[in-house]
Amino acid sequence: MSFQLKNVSKTFKNQDKELKVVKDINLTVDDGEFLCLLGPSGSGKTTILRMMAGLDFPTNGEITENGGPVSGPSPGRGFVFQQYSLFPWRNVLDNVAFGLEVKGMETQERYENARNYIKMVGLTEFENSYPHELSGGMKQRVAIARALANDPQALLMDEPFAALDVQTRHNLQEELVKIWQEELQTIIFVTHNVDEAVYLADRVVVLSRLPGEIINTFRVEIERVRDRASTEFVDLKKEITDVLGY
Amino acid sequence: MALIIPIIILIIWGILTTYTGLIPSYLIPSPYAVLQAFENLITNGTLLTDTVSTLIRVFLGFMVAALVAIPLGILIGWFKIADDLSGFIIGILRPIPPIAWIPFAILWFGVGLGSAIFIIFLGSVFPILINTIDGVKRTDKVYIESAYTMGASQLQTLRKVVVPAALPNIITGLKVGIGIGLMCTVAAEMIGSDNGLGYLIFTSTSMLDTASAIVAMLVIGVIGLAFDYLFTRTERKINW
Repeated sequence: MSFQLKNVSKTFKNQDKELKVVKDINLTVDDGEFLCLLGPSGSGKTTILRMMAGLDFPTNGEITENGGPVSGPSPGRGFVFQQYSLFPWRNVLDNVAFGLEVKGMETQERYENARNYIKMVGLTEFENSYPHELSGGMKQRVAIARALANDPQALLMDEPFAALDVQTRHNLQEELVKIWQEELQTIIFVTHNVDEAVYLADRVVVLSRLPGEIINTFRVEIERVRDRASTEFVDLKKEITDVLGY
Repeated sequence: MALIIPIIILIIWGILTTYTGLIPSYLIPSPYAVLQAFENLITNGTLLTDTVSTLIRVFLGFMVAALVAIPLGILIGWFKIADDLSGFIIGILRPIPPIAWIPFAILWFGVGLGSAIFIIFLGSVFPILINTIDGVKRTDKVYIESAYTMGASQLQTLRKVVVPAALPNIITGLKVGIGIGLMCTVAAEMIGSDNGLGYLIFTSTSMLDTASAIVAMLVIGVIGLAFDYLFTRTERKINW
């Protein structure tokens, strides 16, 4: 799925206060591309992602997917939230099967489908577990499987690994790249972590502090699986960090 | 541990009424008199019939209250327009004591079961309603948005996400509701009932048989405790 953002701005109104969080974003995301939106906290990057998901709407400008306007949320654009978002009253299997259930798929068929995705994220033994029995990393794995089960054309991810420890985070990044290579969906991944962006993305779009504007774009030509210790990796990280002004 | 204070009360009560005679028996009957009244009410079968008929009334009033308050609460909690429309009227109706409705209960439902159910309904309905509204409103936004991004319609989101998310609050509402319903039994059974624990309380009091009244009061207390225990257990089980 391809996306196009034309002169997108977003202003939040709260009583008498106005806060401009996103300013004049022009961006095209190609079909099958892995794009990272990188910016400091409070750079409007989550807002951009939410607008692409149809969870928020631009104050100005327009967003299109495959040429048509984004008018609301759709299972074709899977979303993985930063907070843990699994339904606590459903076990892993029923969480992953939720999208298929609301689509009206028969129980047998949707469980079969859901199990494939649970297997993809390596949680087959936990299909009957409830979210409170899972670690943070496992919860986000399930959240990814839950989005993938709807067979989306794009996956929108809002700092999904931010709360995880480094080791878990690296494992999940590696798995995500594999899933992306197998399923070839477009992924738009929001993060404030330079290392994460360089490891994952085909292209890193760097945003400024509020109101978020695009200050630079980097193409990551490093071959996957990327080696964090390689000179090109380290150099690019440094270059992006300088632009960010951390 | 929980029994320490009741035992102390029982001892003081016994000393004051039986051994020292400081308090005459028409003011507070002695524990022994209460025990005798209990035995008497058991053997002649009144206590069982009264308990069962009160339980039926409370249960019916509570059921109607739940059937009205839960759907209404979901509606009000979800649709802002329903909230705006109902907030004021609920605010006015809620503080009115159920006992104040007795004349209207008689006019509308006649003397008998209908009126009793109506009074208990009035006691139960507001706690269930308020807690349901609150539970729906507090549903974590991320659950609702997750449902939408997975293609759920508004109705599906309500049924499959908002209602289960609000369930712990709804259970709390039911717990408080049945307790208050039980508190209304005396008022409810003042209208045209010829049995029930409330009825037993005011008829025996009017005949100065305070010992029997205390028996009925204690039975209401025990029933309330049992309901509370059941709902609290359910609350713990579905605490998310």
